[in-house]
Amino acid sequence: MSTSAAPVAAQHRIRAWSGVPALLAFLVGVFLLHIAVGAKPLPIGTVIEALTRFNPEIFNHVIVLNLRLPRAVLAVVVGASLSLAGALMQGVTRNPLADPGLLGLTAGAAFAVVVAHSVFGFSAMAATPWVAMAGALAAAVTVFFISRMVPGGATPLSMTLAGAAVSAFLGTIISLIHLLNQDTFENLRVWLTGTLAGRDLALLWYVGPPMLVALVAGIVLAPRVTVLAMGDEVARGLGVQTGMLKAQLLAVVVVLTAGAVALAGPLGFIGLVIPHVVRLYVGSDYRWIVPYSALVGAAYLVSVDIVARVAIPPRELSTGIITALVGAPLFVHLVRRRTR
Amino acid sequence: MSANGVPRQVVLRSPRERIALRLPVRGIVVALSLLVGPIAVSCVSLSTGSYGVALDEIWQTLRGVTISQAIDNVVWEFRFPRTICAALVGAMMALSGGVLQNATRNSLADPSLVGISQGAALAVVTLTVLFPELNSGLRPWIAFVGSILVAIAIRALSYTRQGGSTIRFILMGIGLSAFISSLTSILLTYGEIDRAMAALAWLAGSVNAASWGDVWTLGSWSAVLFASLMLLSRAMSAMRFGEAAATGLGAPVALVRNLQLAIAVGFAAIATSVVGPLGFVGLIAPHAAKRLAPAGMGLHLVLTALLGALLVGLADLVGRAAFAPIQIPAGILTSLIGVPVFVLLLVRSRATGSH
Repeated sequence: MSTSAAPVAAQHRIRAWSGVPALLAFLVGVFLLHIAVGAKPLPIGTVIEALTRFNPEIFNHVIVLNLRLPRAVLAVVVGASLSLAGALMQGVTRNPLADPGLLGLTAGAAFAVVVAHSVFGFSAMAATPWVAMAGALAAAVTVFFISRMVPGGATPLSMTLAGAAVSAFLGTIISLIHLLNQDTFENLRVWLTGTLAGRDLALLWYVGPPMLVALVAGIVLAPRVTVLAMGDEVARGLGVQTGMLKAQLLAVVVVLTAGAVALAGPLGFIGLVIPHVVRLYVGSDYRWIVPYSALVGAAYLVSVDIVARVAIPPRELSTGIITALVGAPLFVHLVRRRTR
Repeated sequence: MSANGVPRQVVLRSPRERIALRLPVRGIVVALSLLVGPIAVSCVSLSTGSYGVALDEIWQTLRGVTISQAIDNVVWEFRFPRTICAALVGAMMALSGGVLQNATRNSLADPSLVGISQGAALAVVTLTVLFPELNSGLRPWIAFVGSILVAIAIRALSYTRQGGSTIRFILMGIGLSAFISSLTSILLTYGEIDRAMAALAWLAGSVNAASWGDVWTLGSWSAVLFASLMLLSRAMSAMRFGEAAATGLGAPVALVRNLQLAIAVGFAAIATSVVGPLGFVGLIAPHAAKRLAPAGMGLHLVLTALLGALLVGLADLVGRAAFAPIQIPAGILTSLIGVPVFVLLLVRSRATGSH
């Protein structure tokens, strides 16, 4: 076995590297396409021109820079964050069904934001991400403790059920708050379906830096996740401080999820879908899975958002609805494959 | 319990012992005392509200004596049908959950958790938003079709060569619910706002608009479904021991299971079509019934139905009294109680450890 292991690893490395340029090219392509499509279609040439030689006199350039570019950037950031968070969660929990949405993190973040807005009348934009982070963290810890208490321990099944329970509970309280307070319902209704439309990009200035730090940290920590995915005892035997590593990874996941929710509302299933697609190509090494997930996730959400914008003109679909429509069947497929 | 460890029971026999009913005493006592619950809740429910009516005035009104036109109106046109609807819907959702748990041999099954309620919801929202001109009398049928399609989908998807896997059933349900709910959201977000608002109010699971027409719909359907359930309860008892044992006992296992699913779906779909999705009643009631009294299948179902009626009756009463004048739909309260119960069952269950 040991003789063949090295060539296989090398093979994977070559294959993994070879995907990067194609992926980057694809990401740039959908990014430009995203900017070009819309109520007023623009030629790709104009888009590139606006991005490289911006001229405030030309109306199309202003559209690109002020209206279309922010949304495309948002899709990249949110897609990369949720996918990377999902990949890390799947590695750490050794749960192929792990996803920030399914394990209650997005519900926790959304719940905290709704409570802050309606109960405390707290709408300071700068604070929203921190509130969301507190909510996501609390929900993650709750789900984890519930699933630990289930006989058989934190299995994919018990985690998913605990996550569904916590999400259902928080969702119910959100509806209750909406009933008691019509204004927040009006303000947050669209946000709660998860969409990239009409977002205040100023928020990105607050959330962007911590999210960027978390993205880099996730990629840096990724090689150790591979060891962690072999089980706690193996990891400890190999000299990994599992407790410390898990705490760091939890922080990364919470920051990324909460930031994404603060920016775009609860978008489901992205973190579930993307790492599985990536794994088909790069195998089980988290050194590759994690950065690939970020790239593929970004390209995926940009593409989904294009569909959301052009599917039923003149109106727009919520991006979160499409990600659920694509993600739920994959979830069903994974359940079919993973359980007897 | 009697001295030898067998629950005390009375046995009723028909002449020549063609039919014999063995009834555990404790179960009967519990059933009778449970019957008091929904009645008491109904009485309180009838008398409280923005227009207070004294209990003896209600008694008079129900006996047909007109005290005043206003009281007559409030009691007969609004509160009485609403109270009956709450009880019926509670009983139906509870039975749906109880039968579903038996059919899937999964103690966590609930129509709202595995997508059956969502299927009914999608069907009804489609009807409300896209085809408002169609008769609302079609609702129960449409809801039934939506639910049965979801049930068939889960059944097909969770079926393996070894037979239906119980835990897959629930996970499939979670996936399917997410899928169906996002279809519903599309209709709600992009349908015309008036129709969407109407659908949204219904989706919260509230009995506040219940009318006598609804009572008839619920009553006639539940009578038919409950009768078929009682006919099936003997075979269902055999299924409690597992499918192999049930086959050995001569029960047509596959047929019984499919009939059970159809009945469970029917209960949930009809109840949902009238008042909207009521979460977790189907999960709580059967477990509570099991706790209160050891009972055979038939009596267990009766207890389950009574508990469901009590639960939703209470939820409706609390929901409209607690934050008055704002009415909290019963469905929200049942979910708030139901989720912690679900977690408790999850933590205590042994079934989830194995696949």
